[in-house]
Amino acid sequence: MKELEISGYVSDGDDLGCTLTSSKLDSDVFSLQSGEGSKKSVRDWLTSAQAMLQTPQKPMDRQFKTPEGSTKKKRKFKSGGLAERLNRLHCRQRSAISFWRHKSISDTSVAAATTVDRPGVLVLEVLEVHEESSMQLAHCEHQQPPRDGHQERNAVSEETTRMLVLFNRETAAQLIPAPGDVIHIYPPWQSLSIEGFICPVILSTHFSQKVSSASKPDDMSLPKIWLSAERRLPYFLGQIFGLLDECKTKSEGRAKQSKCSASFLSQVAASDVLCTFGTRPCLSLLEAIEGLGQAGNVDQDVDVVVQRVYSVPMADYQHNSVIDKAQSDVSLLSNVKQLLSARLCVLVQDSFGIFSTVRLQPLSSSDELHQYCQMWQGRTCVLRGVKVVERVTRERHSRLFSLIDSLWPPATSLKDHGNSLSILNEIGSPGPPPSFCYLLSGHQSSVEPREGQTVSPLYLHPASRTLRDILRSEAKSCRCSFIATVLYKRMQSTDVGQGEVWLVLTDPSLQEEQPERPCRRTVALCVSTSCVLTSSVLEALNSPAVCDMSFRDAIREHGVLLCAEQSVIETTTRQDSLSSSEPQVKTLPQPPRLDSLSLETTPNSLCSLTGVIVGVDENTAYSWPACNLCGSDNLEVSAEKPQNFHCISCKSTLDKPDTKVQLEVFLSSSSLGNCTLKVKLIQQHARIKSILRDLHDRLLQLQGYDVESVLGKEVGPLAVYVRVVTRKPALWMGLEEICLQAWLSNQPMW
Amino acid sequence: MRTFLPAVAEQLFRDIQKIYEETTQIPDDLLIALKFVFGTCALQALDLVDQRSVTCLSSPSGRKAFQVIGGSGRLYTCFLSCHYCPCPAFTYTVLRRNQGLLCKHILAVYLCQAMAVTQQESISDQQMSAVL
Repeated sequence: MKELEISGYVSDGDDLGCTLTSSKLDSDVFSLQSGEGSKKSVRDWLTSAQAMLQTPQKPMDRQFKTPEGSTKKKRKFKSGGLAERLNRLHCRQRSAISFWRHKSISDTSVAAATTVDRPGVLVLEVLEVHEESSMQLAHCEHQQPPRDGHQERNAVSEETTRMLVLFNRETAAQLIPAPGDVIHIYPPWQSLSIEGFICPVILSTHFSQKVSSASKPDDMSLPKIWLSAERRLPYFLGQIFGLLDECKTKSEGRAKQSKCSASFLSQVAASDVLCTFGTRPCLSLLEAIEGLGQAGNVDQDVDVVVQRVYSVPMADYQHNSVIDKAQSDVSLLSNVKQLLSARLCVLVQDSFGIFSTVRLQPLSSSDELHQYCQMWQGRTCVLRGVKVVERVTRERHSRLFSLIDSLWPPATSLKDHGNSLSILNEIGSPGPPPSFCYLLSGHQSSVEPREGQTVSPLYLHPASRTLRDILRSEAKSCRCSFIATVLYKRMQSTDVGQGEVWLVLTDPSLQEEQPERPCRRTVALCVSTSCVLTSSVLEALNSPAVCDMSFRDAIREHGVLLCAEQSVIETTTRQDSLSSSEPQVKTLPQPPRLDSLSLETTPNSLCSLTGVIVGVDENTAYSWPACNLCGSDNLEVSAEKPQNFHCISCKSTLDKPDTKVQLEVFLSSSSLGNCTLKVKLIQQHARIKSILRDLHDRLLQLQGYDVESVLGKEVGPLAVYVRVVTRKPALWMGLEEICLQAWLSNQPMW
Repeated sequence: MRTFLPAVAEQLFRDIQKIYEETTQIPDDLLIALKFVFGTCALQALDLVDQRSVTCLSSPSGRKAFQVIGGSGRLYTCFLSCHYCPCPAFTYTVLRRNQGLLCKHILAVYLCQAMAVTQQESISDQQMSAVL
């Protein structure tokens, strides 16, 4: 296999544009240079590619991918060497540049006016531009004398306000400097004094912004301006840059005097972040991670604020040893399984505003989540020993970013990567929320609260709102937190941990007597399987009683409430911050007010309905005896007295057992016109008896009931759960009567 | 029609030489400036410098040349008196497209000279003829 000769890299312009949107860190593996490789090597590549394709048996030749000793970007540099150091510096700089560009794109109007006064900012008017070797050199007039913060060693005197400013290809392409333009250059930049030159030369002008332009943007001469940055002829190759005639080794060299004057490259107000190598904790996630150069362990400790603590479901359910230790009560088994498959997760934010989720250890008990919440949420913590999994963007993780959006704008001002370290609090507006977020993974001790901290100023507490407020909000989708009373629960599967759970909620704001602007009385919420439920929540859901629950960071989208990943549901008995003395559930009217069933009713809602029976579904109608005392269906004919029944569950004898009835009727309601309403009536004997006395008596006889006697009977108002709504071919609603559990009475609902 | 970049480059090298003489270190800002001016080949050139890949060959007749061990192991011969490197990057980037001042090999030569870490080697005239 011919040795491949790849020389030269893809220019670093390719990377800059990709930093913000790439979802993997440093995905370069092997890049064939466009146009920079020699023809010979392209032919080589083709030949070897063909050879490879023709001989599939041959094991993948590593030489093809990593040509021997080729200067592939990912080859490790010599540890401690200059190349390694420059690489690290450059990575950081690149991140700072893209961060700055992202910010400045959204921030243009503010920047021009307010930041000029900041020390270190160069304000220049372009006089003339020419191009040399893919760089653009602009002769500029400096419009302000340098400030005190300016550390340039050879101070520019007031007379020589001319400067020669160099822009690299990427900056020039974005800036398009032209005569008459006014440009701001933000630190860090560099100034070089050249022997024999009057003007200083300005380098590292990455943070440049055009403030005003001599030419109008829609001026057709704009392309001409670009071309008119004349390209100087390449320098004469015979002009060497000194040094080559000095053949000396280290041992000889000391004596040789350098002809140059004491002019040094000076750096202006480099940001602090470029120089921190030490052990003090870093403040920037971006720096700690991007400085890595590749995905892997983050070796620096980073100070972050824990904004949210939640749990995420884990894929595997195999925790056999713990299941053995769990209680043998079968009904709790599914709960335990649900919990064991949850992993602790936090959403953190650094002082520059960058977010990251950190997946931590699996949770072993449902109490743990609450404890970690108490310990960590809102505090500044040190993040250590984490590994970078991914950097994700908005498009693919809209749920995560809806949470991030709800935490934006930040509570206090953020730090800024591109600007001088002395000014930390001067960010006028923080700009749009970040478009990327890191996914990190850690372990038990990865998050450690800093001592002596109360709540960090950057923390944004999940503010509890009323349901009315949430429903009326205009945002298409948002995160919301609230306390609500759960009126009704509906599990998709009998095993609570497995399927979706639908809840119907209300709160005082929806139940109030005479609202100025009518709003719905109840709202449906879906708990998806990605929302982990604690055992106390499961217990509450399993019981028929009505209860209050607090919902944190639920999602409202398309008018429906949803609890998914990052949402946390807790029973209010856990809440430490109960402002009212009595639980919310007791303040609501009893029975709670419901909306009337209407044409616009959506599935999974609770409504009230009054109507006239127009039909009976005889196929599904039946009745059976049940125990008065315990409600069980396990009855036997009593051995001693054949007329009586014996209940197996509670071992009692019943003279006259209760009767349960299953009945589905068709109702017609005046307000609903042509809609077919099929209502499954409640099994409870007492209820039906009070509404449909005649029907019930007839059904008890099990045969010979007269359907006509039932028809035309008015029923209602019933509280119904809308199970299904179909609109084609005609509006049809499947409803189920429910009994809204009386709050205080002990009437069982069987 | 004056060009300025060569002077910038020359000054940078001088600065590197001076500061390396005094401190045997190249500060971060000089590295950044190198990257800014020379672009991508700065990193590669520094790598070559780390590996001490530059040798100055001298022969009894007084001829001198630089030999650089490139990334692939190939030897490139560069001259003292003018900028030339047989590598393809030089041909395309510097000569044809005028997009760079130097290739990484020549830059490595300059850096090694500035830091005085060029290896020295004496060869015979015959060998020198072969090299040139």
